[in-house]
Amino acid sequence: MAHPIIRFSHASFGFPGVVALEDITLEISEGEFVGVIGPNGSGKTTLCRAILGLMPPFAGGLQIFDCACQELRCHHRARIGYLPQKDALDRHFPITVLEAVMMGRYGALGLFTRPSKQDREIALHALENVGMQDHSKTALGHLSGGQQQRVFIARALAQQPQVLLLDEPTTGIDITTQASVLDLVQRLHRDMGLTVLLVTHDINMIRERVNRLVLLKTRLYAAGPPAEVLRPDILREVYGKDLVITEKDLIIVEDYHHHH
Amino acid sequence: MLEMLSYDFMQRSLAAAMLVGAVCSAIGVFVVLRGLAFIGAGTAHAAFAGVALAYLMGWPPLAVAIVFGLATVWIAGLMEEQGRMKLDVSIGILYTATMALAILFLGLMKTYNAEVYGYLFGSVLSVTAEELRIIAVLGFCVMGALLVFSKELYFIAFDQEMAEASGVPARRIFYLLLTLVAVTVVVSLKTVGAILVFAMILIPASTAYQLTHSLAQMTTLSVVIGTLCAAGGVLVSSAWDLPSGPAIVLLATAVFILSVLFSPKRLNRSQA
Repeated sequence: MAHPIIRFSHASFGFPGVVALEDITLEISEGEFVGVIGPNGSGKTTLCRAILGLMPPFAGGLQIFDCACQELRCHHRARIGYLPQKDALDRHFPITVLEAVMMGRYGALGLFTRPSKQDREIALHALENVGMQDHSKTALGHLSGGQQQRVFIARALAQQPQVLLLDEPTTGIDITTQASVLDLVQRLHRDMGLTVLLVTHDINMIRERVNRLVLLKTRLYAAGPPAEVLRPDILREVYGKDLVITEKDLIIVEDYHHHH
Repeated sequence: MLEMLSYDFMQRSLAAAMLVGAVCSAIGVFVVLRGLAFIGAGTAHAAFAGVALAYLMGWPPLAVAIVFGLATVWIAGLMEEQGRMKLDVSIGILYTATMALAILFLGLMKTYNAEVYGYLFGSVLSVTAEELRIIAVLGFCVMGALLVFSKELYFIAFDQEMAEASGVPARRIFYLLLTLVAVTVVVSLKTVGAILVFAMILIPASTAYQLTHSLAQMTTLSVVIGTLCAAGGVLVSSAWDLPSGPAIVLLATAVFILSVLFSPKRLNRSQA
């Protein structure tokens, strides 16, 4: 088995008086494509923030790149390309596509270093990787939701990361575009050997694409190949009455559709 | 008009106004994009309280104004960071509290002091050579810091959480921005006054925001607009014997209104 680069051992996370994730033990190995699923408020975004070193555990431990997350420094963070869950972008924010992607270089460059021609080339190459090379001078606000997600994935790639951490990358975009964004992520995982962690509500969209699924609801309910995790008894325990499994085995989680 | 430019006081005023116009409009870009509009007003009034206290006690006014300005932005930043209070609420409280202090200090003065009121409303035509030197030194420090940390400042203005997640020391950069706002306000007190400095931070940057889709272009445009409006305002005020602060701000406001009317963003929207 490949070297684990993210290791949770009995780790619990939260805010004063609120436990967001409890007793998580989980290892993610280099080169894996892991889908993180669970109902609303199950701690999926907390898991992302923890991996970024933005939220240390109040109990247990978390190691990232063999480094305790409390000691995670800026240069470690630059090795994780992160796509946050995004509220609607201010359409008029004055930023071009290339300016947004260049920001992916800033963490790795450190303070006092100006972006060089090489950094610009890395950013342009990242845009090429997501098929947006012809839009480098376009205003970010002029793009569609799916195109904007591609640009933000390019920004994460411009960091030249080892890990790609995507929090709900398909929320708020149409279904055809959702599939193309996930196809892109799958291709990046395959071609660049990136370790990918993808948080999503949409089990059906990712079940065929990932090596492993992690099912969360404050605690870790299951982790393993999709066929092992997506068992009706486990899903029913986590999603309760919100779960509908159709004859064609499509899993519909009512909770998600009601809230969005 | 040209004859007036041969006077020393006029050259000093013009230089001071253009420096202040450039610095305010440069920092204004980050204030507008990061959504810190109210902080300029809060800091300006806190700094004015510092000036009033300095005159009451016989201390150097700019130094005390800087202390008051910095205390205000740092306390507000800390309260927001600890999740105790939103930035606009804490600034609102500090704004009114420091204004109350300013009125109290003015009340404690035995006589009317025109110089103190000069800091409230601005009096660019009375800037001394010494004051111009201080404005120049502080102004260049602020511009230098903006230039050195521009990439980080742009990133936190766009998305602070994302900046932090990708390895930028976002929290320290945010405090640097607050500090630079406080210094800028103090630099501008004598020229445009505590009430109007807020406008000089907001208006040129908001005008540039209307005109472009690029961060780099927005910054350049903002500085050009701020500098030209400041120079234009001084010339108008001396030609027609008007107060300088309002002349600068009203000229900038007129340019802003034009930019809204002819904004490519607005035109695109109405065509869509």
